[in-house]
Amino acid sequence: MKRFTDWLLRRSTVWLLLAIFLIGSFVIWWLNIPLIEDMFTVGAITLIMVMGFQMFMGNSGILSWSFVGYVGIGAFVSAICSMQPQLKSMQIPVMYDVLVKIHMPFPVALVVGAVVAALIAAVIAWPLMRLSDAVGAITQFALLIVINVLLAQWQEVTNGPRTFTLGGTRLTTFWVAVLVAAASIVVAYFFKESSWGLRLRASRDDRYAATATGVNVIAMRYVAYVISAAIGAIAGGLYSHYILSITAASFYMSQLFQIMSMVVIGGSMSVSGAFFGTVLVTLADQGLRQFEFFLTQQGANAYGITEIVLAILMILFLILRPGGIAGGRELSLAGLAGRGRKRKQKREQEEPLEPDTTD
Amino acid sequence: MTHTATLELTGLGKSFAGLKAVDDVSLRLATGEILGLIGPNGSGKTTLINIMTGLLPKTTGTVVIDGTDVSRYPAYRVARAGLARTFQTIRLFKNLTCLENVEEGAVGVGVGRRQAVVRARDLLAEVGLTDSSNKLARELTFGDQRRLEIARALAAQPKFLLLDEPAAGLNEEETDALLQYLKPLPALKHIGILIVDHDMRLMMSLCDRLHVLNYGRTIAEGTPGQVQNDPQVIEAYLGSEAKAHA
Ligand SMILES: Nc1ncnc2c1ncn2[C@@H]1O[C@H](COP(=O)(O)OP(=O)(O)O)[C@@H](O)[C@H]1O
Ligand SMILES: [Mg+2]
Repeated sequence: MKRFTDWLLRRSTVWLLLAIFLIGSFVIWWLNIPLIEDMFTVGAITLIMVMGFQMFMGNSGILSWSFVGYVGIGAFVSAICSMQPQLKSMQIPVMYDVLVKIHMPFPVALVVGAVVAALIAAVIAWPLMRLSDAVGAITQFALLIVINVLLAQWQEVTNGPRTFTLGGTRLTTFWVAVLVAAASIVVAYFFKESSWGLRLRASRDDRYAATATGVNVIAMRYVAYVISAAIGAIAGGLYSHYILSITAASFYMSQLFQIMSMVVIGGSMSVSGAFFGTVLVTLADQGLRQFEFFLTQQGANAYGITEIVLAILMILFLILRPGGIAGGRELSLAGLAGRGRKRKQKREQEEPLEPDTTD
Repeated sequence: MTHTATLELTGLGKSFAGLKAVDDVSLRLATGEILGLIGPNGSGKTTLINIMTGLLPKTTGTVVIDGTDVSRYPAYRVARAGLARTFQTIRLFKNLTCLENVEEGAVGVGVGRRQAVVRARDLLAEVGLTDSSNKLARELTFGDQRRLEIARALAAQPKFLLLDEPAAGLNEEETDALLQYLKPLPALKHIGILIVDHDMRLMMSLCDRLHVLNYGRTIAEGTPGQVQNDPQVIEAYLGSEAKAHA
């Protein structure tokens, strides 16, 4: 029993995050307002992307430009796998016959999407993780462009520049999105706390010192990159089975920018930071869009104001507080208790003190 | 009954664009002893540590740890073979807690987290940093950072510990504490220590033997008493001081 409570205390971060997220989900579900439920479902899917993104970038310190490419791969692959063959040949007449014949249950399709993305990442990361940081960033950027062009032009697979319409019903329901998002929080947290996560975080802070303590930095980065791609692909699969019509453009700059702003503003080095960044930016995004809509109705040309405000916010954070809101800290019971204690101490200090008589 | 391991460097050399920073250096260190590496600034002490740990590629020579030739190992495998080190310019994991820093020292060489945490707690207590366990490394004072770095190196339970100027920047009291801590360490933990430092008082009372470098070459080796009276050593130090005064 003692051991169990110790464990609960030590892992309080993950329980607190899950509690906040699940209680929030219940409230939204109970309110039963379709528009808000819709926004929350998309938010939950975005949260999975953020968790996958944080796993690599937050622990390794390397910006993952190619990440949304894997989200796109997962979205298309899982859609191809789950759709009815007749529907596929109707929607995408040019599709390869072998692909048309494939048909599997939704959960299996999600897993296949993740496996395909992970395999591609595993091949590409082999040379990629060896590159120096600056060259690696440019290479990842180029990789994202390559993936995007393939998704946008390979019409026998993705319907090319035309919209890929899944048809049928939404297989990603509110609760499916919520449960997978909850699982992604758990995975991101326990990866960070695992021995692999610890070694990777060490290499983020000082690559030489990590090497000198026995860490194979390239191998650690490689593992995290592949897992991150797989999680991104699962998010992509949930996304395509929720939105039901996708194009390559859904998985490009604006999506990457959104995920990046969430992680940067919240704080990439902790799971709590990424979580609260997602919540904050989602709310700010919705608020700003309402405002943009309002201004447009007043006759002003306010299109794009949301992106501009978020971009400025991100730049300000990068300059003034590179650790984001969380600054590497995790939400925890011990932390909350410590904060209460400090506040109390402060209050006591403000009371007049005896004059100091010692020399 | 534990066996005595040796660290053997043979003919180590390193050139930086023609400059021979380390030139044909050979030395032996056994577990249980403390070897001091001294020499004027720029004589190649740090470079020697960098090439023996594989952090920098060496130009010539071999490194053998307890019978295993690690000359061609990548740096992380050299660490796993039993060489742990600290850095002249402290290199901690700034955004990790002190506990995590020391844990990583064990996890890095393949120890599981459960066991690593136990080791880390013990080591933090040993170097007197228990109260700072949950502080981030970057929040520590300079002296505490030096101690944390030593604890991290020891967490790997290495065969040999390489310390690059551990007393630099410490006050007299802290240096004495360091001396008291290091002196019994080889017998206690069954390790060999290679220490670089400019504090001669510390080096004389700590080291069993001294190895002297000048311009990357070995100019003397022996007990502190022998080395102190070696004309070449006196010349090297006087020479460099004369230059500093010029
Ligand atoms: N990365 C490097 N590139 C070029 N020269 C270097 C490098 N590192 C050290 N050196 C040179 O090698 C010599 C030995 O330096 P170092 O090993 O740091 O000496 P010490 O630690 O004994 O003070 C110096 O002349 C220094 O300038
Ligand atoms: Mg030096």
